[in-house]
Formats: sequence, C-alpha cells, structure tokens
Amino acid sequence: MKFTIDWLNEYVNTDGISAAQLADHLTMLGLEVDAVTELFQELAPLKTAQVLSVERHPDADNLSLCQVAVGPETLQIVCGAPNVRPGLVTAIALPGTTLPGGIKIKKSKVRGIESCGMLCSERELGLGTGHSGIMELPEGTPHGHSFLQELGLNETMVEVDLTPNRPDCASVIGIAREVAGVLRRPLTLPVERAEIEFARTSFSVDIESSALCPRYGARLVTGVTIAPSPWWLRKRLLSIGLRPINNVVDITNLVMMEYGQPLHAFDFEKLAGGRIVVRHPHGDELDFTTLDGTARRLDPEMLMICDGDRPVAIAGIMGGMNSEVGDSTTSILLESACFHPVSIRKTARKLKLSSEASYRFERGVDPGGCLSAMERAVSLLCEVAGGVAISGGVDNYGGQRPPRTLVLRISRTAELLGIPLNHEKIIDVLVSIGFRCKEKDADTLWVGVPSFRVDIEREVDLVEEVARLVGYNTIPTTLPTVHLSYPEQDQSRMIRSKIGDLLTGIGYFEAINYSFTTEKHLPALGLPEGDPRCRLVRLLNPLSDDQSVMRSMLLPGLLENVQRNLNFQKNAIKLFEIGKVFTPRGENEQPLEKTRLAGVLSGNRFGEASPFHYRQTAVDFLDAKGAVEYLLQGLRLWGMGDASVLDFSFPAQGRIDPHCDPLQCLTIRAGEQEVGCVARILPEVLRKFGIKQDVFFFDFDLDALCQGKGVARIFKPLPIFPSVGRDIAMLVPENVAAGDLVEAVLSAREPLIEGCEVFDVYQGDSLQAGAKSVALSVTYRSPQKTLTEKNVEKVHMKIVEMLSSKFKGTLREG
Amino acid sequence: MGNFHCLRIMEQKLNSLLDQAKKHLERIAGDGALEEAKKQFDRIAGDGTLEEAKKQFDRIAGDGTLEEAKKQFDRIAGDGTLDQVKKQLEDFRIQYLGRKGEFSAIMQQLGTIPVEERPRFGQLANRVKAEIEKCFEAKKAALVDSAGGQGPGFVDLSLPGRVPERGRLHPVTQIMAEVCGIFEALGFSVAEGPDVEHDYYNFEALNIPAHHPARDMHDTFYVSESILLRTHTSPMQARIMENQQPPLRVIAPGKVYRCDSDITHTPMFHQVEGFLVDTKVSFADLKGILTVFTQKMFDKDLPLRFRPSFFPFTEPSAEVDIACVMCGGTGCRVCKQTGWLEILGAGMIDPEVFRMVGYDPELYSGFAFGLGIERIAMLKYGINDIRLYYENDLRFLSQF
Repeated sequence: MKFTIDWLNEYVNTDGISAAQLADHLTMLGLEVDAVTELFQELAPLKTAQVLSVERHPDADNLSLCQVAVGPETLQIVCGAPNVRPGLVTAIALPGTTLPGGIKIKKSKVRGIESCGMLCSERELGLGTGHSGIMELPEGTPHGHSFLQELGLNETMVEVDLTPNRPDCASVIGIAREVAGVLRRPLTLPVERAEIEFARTSFSVDIESSALCPRYGARLVTGVTIAPSPWWLRKRLLSIGLRPINNVVDITNLVMMEYGQPLHAFDFEKLAGGRIVVRHPHGDELDFTTLDGTARRLDPEMLMICDGDRPVAIAGIMGGMNSEVGDSTTSILLESACFHPVSIRKTARKLKLSSEASYRFERGVDPGGCLSAMERAVSLLCEVAGGVAISGGVDNYGGQRPPRTLVLRISRTAELLGIPLNHEKIIDVLVSIGFRCKEKDADTLWVGVPSFRVDIEREVDLVEEVARLVGYNTIPTTLPTVHLSYPEQDQSRMIRSKIGDLLTGIGYFEAINYSFTTEKHLPALGLPEGDPRCRLVRLLNPLSDDQSVMRSMLLPGLLENVQRNLNFQKNAIKLFEIGKVFTPRGENEQPLEKTRLAGVLSGNRFGEASPFHYRQTAVDFLDAKGAVEYLLQGLRLWGMGDASVLDFSFPAQGRIDPHCDPLQCLTIRAGEQEVGCVARILPEVLRKFGIKQDVFFFDFDLDALCQGKGVARIFKPLPIFPSVGRDIAMLVPENVAAGDLVEAVLSAREPLIEGCEVFDVYQGDSLQAGAKSVALSVTYRSPQKTLTEKNVEKVHMKIVEMLSSKFKGTLREG
Repeated sequence: MGNFHCLRIMEQKLNSLLDQAKKHLERIAGDGALEEAKKQFDRIAGDGTLEEAKKQFDRIAGDGTLEEAKKQFDRIAGDGTLDQVKKQLEDFRIQYLGRKGEFSAIMQQLGTIPVEERPRFGQLANRVKAEIEKCFEAKKAALVDSAGGQGPGFVDLSLPGRVPERGRLHPVTQIMAEVCGIFEALGFSVAEGPDVEHDYYNFEALNIPAHHPARDMHDTFYVSESILLRTHTSPMQARIMENQQPPLRVIAPGKVYRCDSDITHTPMFHQVEGFLVDTKVSFADLKGILTVFTQKMFDKDLPLRFRPSFFPFTEPSAEVDIACVMCGGTGCRVCKQTGWLEILGAGMIDPEVFRMVGYDPELYSGFAFGLGIERIAMLKYGINDIRLYYENDLRFLSQF
C-alpha cells in the first residue's frame, strides 16, 4: 500500500511529525513501513520556462525556433511540439539533465541551429502518456522556478507492507484512521456517511446469491465528458505509481485508494436492458474479453456482473471490454459492491488475474462503506467530469449482518499479555481507532466492532488490538515458570552431529544440496528404469526442470559440487552430505523419507595441509575405505575386535551399482542387511558430470547406522607381560588378498597371537612376474609369562607354514 | 700412625679424583668437539650428503624393511655429534659418581680410617663429591641444555607446523547447532518432522484454511492436491500437540521450501520453529525467551524490538527486529535505512490451533516462534548472496 504524506494530510493533520517518526509509528502499529521515498527526484533539476517567441526553423518545416525565458536568462531552443506558442509556461530540461527515460540533454545543434535544452512532454517526464506536445503548466506559473515545487510534486511517498488481515488499511483513510488513533488527532473524511434516496430508477440490479454478493450499490451519472483528469487528480495517482487514464477511470481509482472500496464504471449505454444481474455465466458465455484486451475462458463457478443479455464484468476483479468507458461515453453506471472473499480469490487464481480490486475483495471489503465511497465518486464525477447525478439509485444489501459485538475480559487480557490493565486504559485505546466500548461488569467490556474491521471476530483479536495500541515495547520481558522435565535426545540427531565432527576432523567439508533435483541424473549414472531410485516424487509446480523431482540419491548433487570445485581450480575435494532421499508411496500419501550419508573424494590426498609436510598425491580407493573405517570406528560400529557390528564385504553378484567400478567396490553390511558401500566411480559416468579425474565415494543408509548399538565399552585389564613382535614377508601370487593372510593368522586359534597387521605390500621388478610380497607383523603375548624367543619361534613357524601352504607362498628371506 | 697414614692417602686420593674429574670434564667437547661436530653436520648437509642420505632412505624404505631403514637413517643423519656428547657425559657420571664409580670405590675404604678422624674425612668427601657434581652439572648445562634439545643445526621456526588437514561443517549446520543449543539449554526438546507434508498440517491445522489470503505468504510446492513440501517447520506444532499434553517445550529444526528464487530467496532454506505451552504463559514470557535467545545468539547489548504482525496461527503476533548489525542502527542498505533487521516471527498460539488439537484454550496458553537459519548466518557472518549456501564451493565452505 502506497500513499503520500500530503495525501494523508487530507484526513489527519500530521504537522510536527517527521516522515521518519510517522514511519516508526506505523511500523509499531503493525503496518510495517517498507520504504519512505522522496518522489520524482530525477525531475529535481528541471525548471519552469516561458516561451517568449516562436519562429519557423529555416531548414525544417516541423521544427520551431523559440526564445524561452528561464528566470533572468533567455535561451534559444529548437522544439518540434505543435503546441509551442508564445506565453506558454512549460518544463525545460537544461543541458546536463538526464530525463527519467534515460535521455541525456546536451547543448546541441538541430539542423544547424543551436538548441540550449529541451522543452518536455509529460511522457518524457514520466508523468503520463501525453506526447502530442510539450507539457502545459497553468497560466501564471512563474518561470525559472523549480518544476517540482511549482507542481507540488516534491512529495514523500510511504510504502506499507500490509499483512493479509488488514484490508481496511489498503486505503489512505484506513492508514489515516490508525495515525489519528495513535496521535489522538481528529479524522476528517470527505464523505462521512451516505444513504441512497429512494426513487424510481431507470435501471435495476438483481443478485442471484447474496452470499456471494452481500451488497451491490449503483448510481447513474449522465452528461459526463471523458477527458484527461485535472492535474491534482493525476498527481495523486502518479505519486503512488498509478497511470492516469481518463477522468472517469481516474476517479474510480482515486476513490478506491482513498476508501479501499473498489468501484467500477460501466458505460450505461452499453448495458442491455439497463439491467445489472449478478450471476454465474451460462454455458454459452464462457468466452469473455476483459478490458485489458485479453480473451479469457470462464468457468461456471465464477461470479459475473451481467447486463440484460451477457456478462459485462468479472465480479470484483476486472471489467469487460464490451462495457468499457470510452471517449464517447456520456452516461456512467457506477458500481460500489461487496463480494465474497473466497469466491473472488478462487476466480482470480483460476484466471491468474489479480487486480487492485481483487486484492481488496479477497481480504475483505467493508460492506458498510460501499455507499460513502460511491457518494464520494459521484460528487467527483459531477465536479471533475461535468456529470449530473441522477437522484436515487440502487442499494441491494441482501447480505447485511448485525454489527458485531464482542465480550472482552480485562483479567484475561492482562494475563495473556503479562501487563496490568484496567477499564480506562482498554477503553481509551480501543475507542481511539473506532471501536465502541461499554462496561458490562467489573471485569468485562462489551466491544462494538466497526464494520471496516473485518478481521476482528473473537476476544483474542481484541487482545491483540490492545497490545498493539499500548505498544509491544511497553510489555515487560519475563521468563516463564515451567515444570522441569528432561528433554529426550534424538538418537539420529546425535549421530549426525557425531558424524559431522568425525568427518570434518579428517578433512571433509559438509555440503548441503537442494532436496529437489533433475531426473536426468539417473540415466547419467546408468541406473536401469526398474531401479527403485528411478521412482521419483515429482513436483507439480517446479521452478525449473533442474529442480523438478525430489532426490532419491545424494551422489548426483555431490558430483555436481565436485565438478564446480574442479572448475574453480580446487583439486583437493572431500565433501560429505547428510540428507533425506525420497521414495513415492500412494497418491496423496506422504513419500518415504530416508536419511542418508554420502561422501565424495577426488584429487589431492591432503587437501589444504601444507605440501611442505604432506607430499600431494592423488587419493585412491583406500582413502575412501579409510574414511569409512575411521567413521565406523568413531561410531564404535567396526574395528573393535570380534565385536564389530558391521563388516566390509564384496558386493554380491549383480548388486553392484552401474556407476561403480566393479573392481573397486565394497559393501558394508550389518549381518545380512546392506547399510552402505564405498566405491570408485566409473570414468564414463564422471564424464557425463563433466569430471575428468578419479572420484571415489561412500554412501550409507543413516537410519540403519543409527540402529546399530555400537560396541559396548568394556574394560580389559592391561597386559602384565611384554609382547614379542615378529615379522613375516611372504611371496604370494598377486591375486591373493592381503586381508585374507591377516584373517588366516588371526583365525589360526593360536592363543599366543594377539594381533596381526599388514605393514607392506610390494610388487616390482625384483620379484618374479605374477608375485607380490606381503609383509605381516604378528604380535605374540602370553597372559602368564614373559615370552622367550623359543616360545614364539615354535608358534611363528607354524603360522609361516600354514600361510605358505594355504596361499601357495614362500617365505621371503632377508 | 698407620691409621693416620691411611687418612692422608685417602685425602690425596679424593683430591686427585677431583683434579682428574675436572680435567676429564674439560676434555668433553672442551677441545671443541661439539663445535667440530656442528661444522661437520653443516658440511654434510651443505654438500648434499644429507640429500644423499635421504635418497638412500627412500631406496631402503622401498623394499620394506622400514625399521632397519629408519635406524640406518638416524645413524647417517645423526652422525654422533650431540648424542656423542651426551654419551660422554653419561660415561663420566658413571665413572665418577655412579654406584660403582671411583668416588664410591674410595668411600668403601672408609673402614681404614680411625673412627675419630672419620667426621673430618666425611666433610672432605662430601665437599669433593659436591664439587664434582657441580662441575658436571655446569658442563652438562653448557653443552647439552643450552643446545635446547634441538639437535644439531639451525631450525627454521618460520616453517609451517605439521597440521593435519581438516574440514568444516556447513555454516547452516553450525548456526543450526548454535540455535538449537541455546533452546536445549533452556529445556526445550528437539523434534524433526517430514519435509513432504500434508496440506492439513502445513496449513489447515495452523488456522490457514484453503483460499485464505495468508496462503499468499507461502509460495508452495505441491506434490499432489493434498501433499506439499512444507513451507515452514510449524506443522510440528500440530503434530506434537496432537500426541502430547502440556506442558510442552519443543523446537523443530529443518528444511523448508517455497517456490521463490532470487538474490534474497532460495527455494529451499532452513528454519527453526519453537513453541511452549503451559498454563498462564504470557506475551511477556515470549518476549523474555526470545530476548534471552537473541542476546545469546548476537550481542548481549544489541537493541531489540517487538512489533505487531500477523500470522494465522498466532494471536497476538509479533515480528522481532534486532538493531542492524551492519550499521549499528544508523541506517544502511542491508536494513533498508530502517536501522532494524527482522530475525524472528512469533506470537501467542491462536486458540483455534489449540481447539483443533483438543486443548482447552481457556486452560492453556502458549507461544510459538520461527526463525530462518540462512538469514541469521548472513547477519552473523556478513554473507551477501544467499545462493552461495547451496553451491558448496570450497572457497565458501572453508571460511566458516
């Protein structure tokens, strides 16, 4: 809602209150001021100028050579306007000025003759559409003065961001009422109240349903001359960004802005049978052209204003082309009506057409105010457009309701707000904005709600009015007294937080991607159509194709992030994301939401760590696996000896995702249940994401991880006797897995063996082809005694023999 | 006389032990051995021997005998110097002052001295031992301790410390944790709900019926006629109140969605909704809780204001502004010249919402509030483009 302070002053005197103070008052009343703007600042350099003489340009028939007075100076100007004539006062842009349209004025030669500026039309000044000639200022306007000041355009515009509950403030009078209340100054209205005289009319109004149209007022004004509006009227509209059209349309717009009551002017001669019927359209009336020239398809539920034959307007939204006021119009049927908010809203939505009128009707227009606004418009039509108001008119008020009276308990109000209150205080503030109050008993008031406050329906609404008017900032701050209780911790949240700490601790950055994505990712990953992840939750109204489905995997988003970072020359990428993925269920049923954890890594192993200490080499599969091991250890789900909850295993045949390298892929299981995987992504998949280097990833079902209890913390006494370490270097065929050697040692059921680790795997020229050297370090310890070389040697030899026979290996000497 | 003779011999032994010890100490690096060692080290390093050694190390390490290689490297690189000095000093200590050392050997002959002379001899012995110890400590301090344990050579302290790499949580996660942490400390529990929600919980149960203009405040993504992406985390209010009885103190963090995308809006963002329901909860209590929150989140002395607003599920409703953190309240581009920044929406829970979950609005009252995490992060960290949040650019993520 926009208005100027000058306009506001017509109804309430704001003398002594600065624009900033006014804005502060409004904001603290709940009418949040978005902007306070000095208007037309781009016109500030313009001056008024009077034409002294006009001669024909010697070299151009349609140009004039003018001598123009601007204060003490006389300037020579070349002008093409037909209306330029001696004595005319107009606006001049001197060299150096930039006009609102972006034209920069320079001293220049026009067909060989020097011109020291430009005389401007309304359109060039952004003040209207008039371009048939230069602007004509009222006679007697002095020249050489500021154009803005002479026209009274140096105004301050205030823009209020209205909440949907305050349609009454979608009007300058509504704002003025609040200001008058807070300043305790009187409110003056152009028309206080109006009634329709009973008289025979030459037209009739019939309403099909008073529920949809509670009130319809209409009056006839004849003898109107359509013309541009006088300057004061155009200025009002221009100052709030509305385009002046002609006097009749401008008047309806002005009164709508003033009273908040949308009005419509029909060309009475175009109304068949002199009738207005408010009804739904018939089946053969569904094509309708609104006055913006757009052909629209109606549906039978929409409420229309019709004449004797056909629809002439979409009720409460926009008039029709067929009854539009035009240059030849002389008789106006003025409508001031009230429509049901939901009906208007549905229609506006369906037609994707909203207007200043529909904005107000959707939120609720005061049915009690129809006639005052109509009276105001009728008197302006007579005054400005030369019309004659035909006495009498129609006021079809089938939806009239008794005025609303509510009960307000003072103790309840005080308790809800946490402040002391009494009768006097409450009555004082409510009366200041138009409520009527009467004492019912010691604790209760009767409060009469004015008809324009369509939002006040309950006691609690009045409590808010009291709070608003005493000022939220006068309410103290206290802390509630509560019953002590222990807030239960959400296990999943705690694990997520722990995962975040663990992964950031080893160089991973957390990513957050949109939950919606494009379905094009799935074929890029090579997922077959039947894959469950190809069943997607689709948005009915996505912003774009790229954000049209809810994601079923985290990986594609992370790959996009990898690509973006590579583009920006980051070649050490470790990202993880914890987020939901979505699987559809039935229509009108919520989809299944599962939280997953995924990570990607690519490029340099040590990230931003100093290259002085950490030699940068590219990450490989074992980095990804290591991150997973570290994470699972941190969560106590793996690597705690025999008690591991999870285990790594090779993916079952046919269970490898098509984007994973089958030779570098492991699944992580909890018993039979697959909870995650770690893999290298195939280069051909990466190319589709614009990535030309290796990327590894891991991916977990977080809900499954959360179910894992974690290995219990049980203390084992520290060993009393020292351990003995022995190394074995075995030459084995290259396809033997080092992990299998370790597993074989650990499961050899030798009580002295405490642990076994791989410490080197070597393959190279010095070894025979097809062989590799695996070096194991075995730890022996006895709980009863210090082991001697002899004790160990016996077991160690057994182990070596076992490994040699089981894996076709030989002990590597030296 | 024989005994007296013994005493003299013993005294001589002690004195000559002292002399011998002092001379021995002087010899330890006194002849410039340490200096020499240092030079030698520099020479080695200078003419590439150290490089050579490293190469050798790499070569050795390659074929697996890592331990051996390390030892070998230590031998090469260490080259004796400081360790040698330390060894010499230790040898000295053992030779003179050790349990089986020379001083002890003399003292074992104490029996040969007449009883009446023993105190005098004892004093002398103590003096000699103290003197040797003093000289030894002085020498050790000069040679070893002054070397600061750094080993030989110059240590360039300007080189970077050996910091392992580390990542960061997303700023949204960090702020979210901070916000939730403040409310958890106030005894609120945390509840999360579905991102894809029923129209009923997102709107109807919050007193926003179909065709209500307040729906314009939420540009909603729909999945079907009755299923949508939640436009706020407020549905958790209704979901929790349906299943639990007051008193309640709950916050609901999560992702929310609105079909709106420009410099100040992303179609997905994060919110924390909170509510408290009990008997006799007042608007003053709402102001109290949110004042505590704002002061913890921002500055303790940051001015704060509550102003009337409208939400269908609260009555009275408020918006909470803090003094602009960019300009301090004098007016700037960020606060649109108002000096204030909106950070929270709040209000007393509307009786209609209570009625729909079966609470008696005459018995219970409560308040609810909601805030946007991205906005708070923008204000706290000065982030000027909301789109940065979801590009996951490491140059962005690594700043928090």
